[in-house]
Amino acid sequence: MKKIALCIFAISFSLFGFSQEENDSIQKENKSSFSKFKDNLSASFESNGQWYLNDKKTGKFEEQEHVRANSYLRLDYSFLKNFTVGIQAESYAPEPLLNYSKLYDKRVAIAQFYANYRSEKLDLTAGYFYEQFGSGLVLRLWEDRALGTNNALRGGKIKYSPTDYIEFTGLYGKQRKGFSVTDSDIFGANVEFDIAAAFKMDKINSLSIGGSYVGKKEEYIAIEPSESVIPELVNAFSGRFDLALNKFYTNMEYVHKSGDARLNNFNPSVTSFAEKKKFTGNAILWTAGYSQKGLGINYTFRRIENMSFFSERNATQSVKNPTNQLTVNYLPALTQQHDYTLTNIYTYQAQHRLFQQTNETPIIHAGEIGNQVDVFYKIKKGSLLGGKYGTKLSANLSYWASLQTKATDPDGIPFFPSDNLTYESEFLNFKNKLFTDFNFEVRKKWTPKLSSIFTYINMYYNKSIIESKYDNKTVKAWIGVAESTYKLGKGKSARLELQHLSTNDDANNWLGGTAEFFLSSKFGVYFNDSFNYEESKETENYKIHFFNAGGSYTSNIKNTNYRVALNYGRQRGGLLCVGGVCRPVSKNTGVTVNLAVSF
Amino acid sequence: MKKFSLLIVFMLSCITLNAQNTLPSVVLKTVDGKTINTSELSKEGPIVISLWATWCVPCKNELDAISDVYDEWVDETGIKLYAVSVDDSRTVKRVKPLINGKGWEYEVLLDTNHDLKRALGVSTVPVTLIVKDNKIVYRHSGYTPGAEDELYEEIEKHTK
Repeated sequence: MKKIALCIFAISFSLFGFSQEENDSIQKENKSSFSKFKDNLSASFESNGQWYLNDKKTGKFEEQEHVRANSYLRLDYSFLKNFTVGIQAESYAPEPLLNYSKLYDKRVAIAQFYANYRSEKLDLTAGYFYEQFGSGLVLRLWEDRALGTNNALRGGKIKYSPTDYIEFTGLYGKQRKGFSVTDSDIFGANVEFDIAAAFKMDKINSLSIGGSYVGKKEEYIAIEPSESVIPELVNAFSGRFDLALNKFYTNMEYVHKSGDARLNNFNPSVTSFAEKKKFTGNAILWTAGYSQKGLGINYTFRRIENMSFFSERNATQSVKNPTNQLTVNYLPALTQQHDYTLTNIYTYQAQHRLFQQTNETPIIHAGEIGNQVDVFYKIKKGSLLGGKYGTKLSANLSYWASLQTKATDPDGIPFFPSDNLTYESEFLNFKNKLFTDFNFEVRKKWTPKLSSIFTYINMYYNKSIIESKYDNKTVKAWIGVAESTYKLGKGKSARLELQHLSTNDDANNWLGGTAEFFLSSKFGVYFNDSFNYEESKETENYKIHFFNAGGSYTSNIKNTNYRVALNYGRQRGGLLCVGGVCRPVSKNTGVTVNLAVSF
Repeated sequence: MKKFSLLIVFMLSCITLNAQNTLPSVVLKTVDGKTINTSELSKEGPIVISLWATWCVPCKNELDAISDVYDEWVDETGIKLYAVSVDDSRTVKRVKPLINGKGWEYEVLLDTNHDLKRALGVSTVPVTLIVKDNKIVYRHSGYTPGAEDELYEEIEKHTK
């Protein structure tokens, strides 16, 4: 704590120093060069602190450190027109917040640095960098502080665009692992070719193709070297196209991942691999849509099989990597991302791992198949249903199933599969239903001051498989949410939201709501509660108020933007959207302070 | 706790710069896949940049509210609004049908891997900026009903 305070003090001192210098400078030249310096410097600071409290209802906070904070300071400085350099300092003092990876084990350190040169045709980066190829199925390097994700590479990246319709990318690096990097090497190449621009096809909105390669090289020390087929190099290839014509558009991506080891997970306390067989992976993503003013339709199909791709083989073991560190690619759940508290109790996770479920006869989980449709429609102003201000409708339907597989294991015995286990999967079989969600939303403005949003959700959630419980328990639920906002003038407004989740499965019914009051566009307070009021066999959350009360203040002083939020409450966990912003939160009781400053 | 609050005080005190920031130069994509550099956006006059996402209710509220008065804003001030979606590949395919379905008339850009979001130090959306001659002259985070009126007052200041 002392160290961080000192460090921050040093930073603030140096900044004060700068402003001081400005005041003292008499010569105009000096001043202008200094203001240029400031002009080219951008900085942002974010700190999320929590004070965990003991709770009569949910029990004592059992870990040692009650007060914790994750803080990030980012500085970027651009100079000589083409150059930018930057650092990111991070602090996890005295420990990272709950549900963050323990890899972040340092109190304060420079976590990342980079130098970049950019001209019209060339973009060079040395140091830590982010990147995404295609839709991220083969490579996505990114940062999400709320999720505790930062999988940047440390190395070099070159982007070269000789013309405006072609772009090449080459990269090499070692992936960030906490404050260090992994031992493995990642290399990648990508090309994007805009056919419509190259051949001046004016009638086509867009026509482009792209291709990517990503390789990972990691040493493997075999238990039985003479029989091991586990490769050191795993290669992933992606090919894709994108077409938009008038009001229609479609795009597709296909990915092939070369053979890799299968996790031998009958004993999760030890991470080991079946050494005699290797398994390839693949993915297909297809999107098609139609859109015109007032109407939009989008369809997405995806099938992924054995697509886990980590920079370290051991990270495949999900029990030991709950925060999903060291990912190379990005495999999000393609479902509606809901933003009310009760709508985030049953959320789907994409099934991309290849593993065998411990059973008398082996059951192989290899991936998922499914699709979703979105429809957006605006009922015109002045019509019967549109009313004076128009009405906006949106609906989403998603369906996801696990792949149908058949395992063969000539040498296995009940509950103990052998290293010779293999499997086959069916290409188009949707019958192993894991999750469905049908939802629609109506947005209605009644008067210039009063507007409402109504949401209905009907879902099916295969808890047994999604949460790896294998107890055959599933949940059918529907959720209704109604919210209204009333503007009181001069930036004041009040918002009231009511939610109800109905189910006869799992923990039965929940009731929830939020009341929010903005005193100005800068300052707001809120209270929110979720309550599992109906008795069931699941007693974990029964009759406990998961409440939150707090306020947020945002301000803009001389172009420096501040946002401070203070919150006291008991979190069930999920995505919390209040005070005008959304962030995922973890289960705990306590006081939370979020501070973000940028200038 | 004492140390913690001290820390907060330090944080707050450290930022007293009167910065007038250059908009970071980042390459974004249009919904039709064309690339565009952020440094070119404000060449023809002041613009508003709003960082939003399809899953963010306050963001959609803000853009819906502005949408109702956008024609007047354009007529009066000539302002142009760029709605920069920070949706990643999970939800980015929803952007195009959503903007059309809602009848928004903004220029929509995609920041799928958060290059602009990071460069601006944005931790939560929505964030709204006014950019004039490639300088950020106004920045606001969060949306509260009616905040669009305040934004308009700021736009008027910078378009005169």
